[in-house]
Amino acid sequence: MPGFTHLHTVSGFSARYGASHPERLAERAVERGMDALALTDRDTLAGTVRFAKACAKAGVRPLFGAELAVAAPAPGGAGRTETSVRRDRRRAPVRGGAFVDESAPRVTFLARDGARGWADLCRLVSAAHTAEGTPLLSWPDNHADGLTVLLGPGSDVGRALAAGRPDRAARLLAPWREVYGGALRLEAVWHGRTGTGPGSLRLASRTVGFAAEQGVRPVLTNAVRYADPGQGRVADVLDAARRLVPIDATGELDSGEAWLKDAGAMRDAAERIVESAGFRRDTAHRLLEQTRATAAECLVDPEDDLGMGAVHFPEPHLVGAGRRTAQRALASRAAAGMVRRGYDRRPGHREYWERMHHELDIIAHHGFASYFLTVAQVVDDVRHMGVRVAARGSGAGSLVNHLLGIAHADPVEHGLLMERFLSKERVVLPDIDIDVESARRLEVYRAIIGRFGTERVATVAMPETYRVRHAIRDVGAALSMDPAEIDRVAKSFPHIRARDARAALEELPELKELAEETRREEREGRKGRKGQEGGGRYGRLWELVEGLDALPRGVAMHPCGVLLSDASLLSRTPVVPTSGEGFPMAQFDKDDVEDLGLLKLDVLGVRMQSAMAHAVTEVERATGERIDLDAVPEGDPATYRMIRSAETLGCFQIESPGQRDLVGRLQPSTFHDLVVDISLFRPGPVAADMVRPFIEARHGRAPVRHPHEDLAEPLESTYGVVVFHEQIIDIVDIMTGCGRGEADRVRRGLSDPESQGRIKVWFAQHAAARGYDAETIQRTWEIVEAFGSYGFCKAHAVAFAVPTYQSAWLKAHHPAAFYAGLLTHDPGMYPKRLLLADARRRGVPILPLDVNGSGVAHRIELVSESRKPRGARTWGLRLALLDVHGISEAEAERIAEGQPYASLLDFWERARPSRPLAGRLAQVGALDAFGANRRDLQLHLTELHRGARGGRGDQLPLAGGRRTASAGLPDLTSAERLSAELGVLSMDASRNLMDDHRTFLRELGVVSAKRLREARHGETVLVAGAKAATQTPPIRSGRRVIFSTLDDGSGLVDLAFFDDSHDACAHTVFHSWLLLVRGVVQRRGPRSLSVVGSAAWNLADLLEVRREEGLEGVAARLAAAGGGQEGDDPGGGPARRRLAGSDGRPAPAGSAARDPMEQRTIRMSTGYEMHPWADLRPAGEGPAAGRKLWHQSPGSAG
Amino acid sequence: MTILCVRFQLPPMYEAALPELLGLIEEFTPVVEALPPDGALADLRGAERYFGRDAVELASVIRVRALALHGVDCVIGAGPGPMLARMALRDARPGLTRAVPGGGEREFLAGRPVAALPGVGTATARTLCEYGLDTLGRVAAAPLPTLQRLVGAKTGRELHERANGVDRGRVVPNGVSRSLAADRPFDRDELDPDRHRRALLSAAGELGARLRAVDKVCRTLTLTVRYADRSATTRSRTLPEPTAHSAALTRAAYDMYEALGLQRARVRSLALRAEGLTPAEQASHQLTFDPVDEKVRRIEEVADRVRAKFGPRAVMPGSLAA
Repeated sequence: MPGFTHLHTVSGFSARYGASHPERLAERAVERGMDALALTDRDTLAGTVRFAKACAKAGVRPLFGAELAVAAPAPGGAGRTETSVRRDRRRAPVRGGAFVDESAPRVTFLARDGARGWADLCRLVSAAHTAEGTPLLSWPDNHADGLTVLLGPGSDVGRALAAGRPDRAARLLAPWREVYGGALRLEAVWHGRTGTGPGSLRLASRTVGFAAEQGVRPVLTNAVRYADPGQGRVADVLDAARRLVPIDATGELDSGEAWLKDAGAMRDAAERIVESAGFRRDTAHRLLEQTRATAAECLVDPEDDLGMGAVHFPEPHLVGAGRRTAQRALASRAAAGMVRRGYDRRPGHREYWERMHHELDIIAHHGFASYFLTVAQVVDDVRHMGVRVAARGSGAGSLVNHLLGIAHADPVEHGLLMERFLSKERVVLPDIDIDVESARRLEVYRAIIGRFGTERVATVAMPETYRVRHAIRDVGAALSMDPAEIDRVAKSFPHIRARDARAALEELPELKELAEETRREEREGRKGRKGQEGGGRYGRLWELVEGLDALPRGVAMHPCGVLLSDASLLSRTPVVPTSGEGFPMAQFDKDDVEDLGLLKLDVLGVRMQSAMAHAVTEVERATGERIDLDAVPEGDPATYRMIRSAETLGCFQIESPGQRDLVGRLQPSTFHDLVVDISLFRPGPVAADMVRPFIEARHGRAPVRHPHEDLAEPLESTYGVVVFHEQIIDIVDIMTGCGRGEADRVRRGLSDPESQGRIKVWFAQHAAARGYDAETIQRTWEIVEAFGSYGFCKAHAVAFAVPTYQSAWLKAHHPAAFYAGLLTHDPGMYPKRLLLADARRRGVPILPLDVNGSGVAHRIELVSESRKPRGARTWGLRLALLDVHGISEAEAERIAEGQPYASLLDFWERARPSRPLAGRLAQVGALDAFGANRRDLQLHLTELHRGARGGRGDQLPLAGGRRTASAGLPDLTSAERLSAELGVLSMDASRNLMDDHRTFLRELGVVSAKRLREARHGETVLVAGAKAATQTPPIRSGRRVIFSTLDDGSGLVDLAFFDDSHDACAHTVFHSWLLLVRGVVQRRGPRSLSVVGSAAWNLADLLEVRREEGLEGVAARLAAAGGGQEGDDPGGGPARRRLAGSDGRPAPAGSAARDPMEQRTIRMSTGYEMHPWADLRPAGEGPAAGRKLWHQSPGSAG
Repeated sequence: MTILCVRFQLPPMYEAALPELLGLIEEFTPVVEALPPDGALADLRGAERYFGRDAVELASVIRVRALALHGVDCVIGAGPGPMLARMALRDARPGLTRAVPGGGEREFLAGRPVAALPGVGTATARTLCEYGLDTLGRVAAAPLPTLQRLVGAKTGRELHERANGVDRGRVVPNGVSRSLAADRPFDRDELDPDRHRRALLSAAGELGARLRAVDKVCRTLTLTVRYADRSATTRSRTLPEPTAHSAALTRAAYDMYEALGLQRARVRSLALRAEGLTPAEQASHQLTFDPVDEKVRRIEEVADRVRAKFGPRAVMPGSLAA
């Protein structure tokens, strides 16, 4: 029996429509004996690459197409115009919004003639997205030579047939025929529905009959939405989510038939259709034959026609090559760079020249010269705009990149290797990433588009897929659950995959309550309402939530990728405008783009760059001193003293609790130390036991050892410990003499256990051939093997360390400006209020918001000039207008422009703030200069507002004069001021919010962060503070550890909660803002200290209990909660002592009790084992008081 | 301390029992103001002397009688004025009558939140709290001009007086002003306009029937739409003439519903309330030359009789029969 080809199949890439991934569809197609399968997603080709790859793997021929909404031919057109007129008349709903308009007829297009068909398809999809609103293909754009068109039940012709109007259908068919002629097909679909609507037998037979009558060839499809039977419920949820309505149980639901049916089932369908159309039963084979023939015509080869595997760079003349070849231009620019930087006059200039020519050879070998010129061009343009730019990634290892001005650090000096980036042996697109100021990233995009033109440049798409929280929200809304209930359930989950929902419910301690509830509901549901299947409040919720797992639900612009290609981009990629800025955006995501051979340049917006730029401008504005950050002196002692003190909050890359700990132990004193520090703070090196030996050797507590003296050179700088990829490449090269390019390939092979075995044999043979003895080989191999692919690319680390050093330098020398920059651009993992507390601790005066003093952004201001002759001037930090909640940029600018203001009236009239904004300004004291208390000011503002509204503009409600009269209202109390600051600025600007609770904390005997530094190792203490950051990063032992940082005004306390305390603490830690924690002090060095928590309480609750019920109440609460009922031995078990990054020993195998988690650890491609729930963004909500008062970030992502 | 505020603990939808309970209070004083659905204000100025007991003792008598005669418990607050009596009611429990002593008004009020004062709605309360006047004590202490600037001249003056314990209200005997309500909840988020209209038709029919049963007409019809997120929209319409005619009520309800233009709103319930009830014999009715109107009313009359005889589902509109 010949197979059947489904010509109309959508995948999950049809957002909120298709229910199966392309991979699943391809697998099922093979299982059900099909030879080919089409993918015709709605309005998108985004799934194409994944589908093509999946088909290649499964062994089916892919057909490419798209289903598009189509406008009617212009004048005589019916359908849409009629309905839209009626829609315009419709009243705007007072609540709930209007229905989603899905009235446009939809038609399926299939690419037929290879590259031409694909180009047509891309053009049509791009054209459909040019109009505002939902994608719609206008009739003038609706023509193509290389496409086959299927007019199905959703098309205008199909609708006319469903309405029983063959005459009208014939009239509507005419324009289609005119345009597409023989490429037109009529599509019959039977989903077993009754009536004459889409999916009904009668419509299918009418279609076949109509086709015979009109002489158009009919085809049979199943309009597939999901791969397997039984997924109809998921389709219902998707329909509901797309239309933004609940599932209407009494309305028309999905038929459940739109799955990838096998050939037999489709033949049965064909027979039923032709029979009911009045033909003989054996005519069915003709219908199937037509379908097969149509499929056979649609030949598009993924390699040749989509351009997969080929490379396309912008034309050389666009990147400054003129009429020369790109290679020549590159060589001459590199040589010019050599001269400009003075390397040709250095003692070691031969080395530089050789390296340059070697690299140019490699580039010429691959023909990538245009690529380098393109990136250089972009970097030049960005620099001309005055935007800070820096290269990151392995590209920093190339001297040519350095000479072209792309990378800042000199690779020869830092020992960076070209081979890590690009070698003759490796055939992949090289990858250069550049960092720019985040605040000006879009400006940079515009410049790139301006330089190369929209026909060559597009941003990259990033599909947003369903994860558990969104899935719960959409399923809950579809099932008509109470919105408040949905919200509560969704928020209690951490950010995990949707398919893990039920597993997480079983296993995560912080979800225990919810799990209980679910079980109870289910029991009651089963008992109470027998009629209802599933029963209970949650019903099928979890099942459907898991069904949505990883389906795309929308698309956004990738935050950093920019496509650069030659002028043929638009015929190879569908390009749509992004919703906000209207940038051209390819529908493919970053991986697809690489497979398609499109050059992607990552332009990352780095907030730290913006912050530093702001700091430098501030210093220049206030003092006239011009700082060139790229030329700050190296090895500045004050900077390293600051870094060694581990007070590195706000510094790039070294501000996280773990890094502060590591920096404290490592005590860096040179740039190289910073590079090592950054490389070490990765899950990989932590796993490979590199941190402790390195620190021991560095502080001279352990001898430096090399397996062989030949390896001393590469290992010397890191005390015999392998830290960098470059070192592995060197070791393999030295031991086997295979060349660095090959060595890099070997290094990449190490992560795969299979190839590792082969490499071991190969390594031993070659090393032995070069005369190394067996023991050396064995020991070297152990190092290489342990290292695996964990290490860090040194080029990356060097590129990172540059801004790290620069930011630390700023913090040490211009602290006020540094904090001004940080607060303005909000980089890093900590909330602003914590940075403010840090500034206060470092002696930077915080100046309150003042409409006469504050700028749009944070500024620095001279506070006092000391009498000493030199320097010693104190700069204060003036808070910014933009931090006021709800202020618009225009308002802030208007206020700043009008400064100074003489009186409240003057301010009101010239700055024209909105009423709520003016009220907020008054609340936080920005208007204090105008006299009267803050509440009186509010009243005056209200009256000014009323006066302006009532048209009494010229009548002055205030008496003249500068001071505002008192109205006798009670002023804000100090606590109210603080809460106003938190509410309006999200920062406790005047003092630390913990100050108010001192008395209670003293009663409890809480140890302050400052006093904690003197605490003994192993001491049990109570600490308290406002939560600043919470993470569950992946750590060595494969356990889940919750790290949290508390701020209590005197400093930071770093906390760790291990598995054994999660049951008691996890929920409290995630969901409270003020915490009281009992724990044991862990000390690993003079500057390295943390508290291992064993019990946690919500301090806000306790404070309230204290206020209302007194100490007895608090005691009762502590007794009831019994936060620490589990073993509380000082010093903790072995698990407790083993903090992430502090201990490299393998986890004690077998000694731990059987952990249900053990089987579920996730083995990452690097061979690194991870707790399944580690590295996910924990659940948790802010307190009522503030918006984003603390920030949660996922752990470092290896 | 002569005003009582009584709240009967009636189960919902039993507002019909209120007139009888009011009659009970009227045995003590003729000055009784009904506070539908379940409360009343009574001025006992004359009664105290007549019965020789003070207001608190009379309150106990009223409670005992209500329990004995109707089996309905009640809560009573007493104070020198209606406002204070109402506020006192909030502190009272069954069996414990809360009384505000004359002269102690200011202390009684001082610690209370502003929103507790009758006549201070959410908007005024929000304004006052914004300016730090969150308790009545603070409001009393604030200068009068400032208060008037905050909430307007008249409201400000009244607020100032009331916060200082000056209660100028009187008990106004009314007796009738009451309302009837019909609620149609849905058991899931309902978007279908047909089902919405069906619910409205049935609710309006029920209201009409209930009005006609007690010989009342209503002047105003109020539609409340409740949504899944527990918010609600309320629209109110004054009828062209007071009526109890189901068709007229339905028309008014449909008009209000159409004006909302709901499309994707997740409706959880529709409620109609007939307000401004007056006796049917006092209502005027515009006669027309069109016989249809006359016929429809006569059919309604017949249908009412059929329903009275064979139960409420004996006759109903076709669209509700399904």
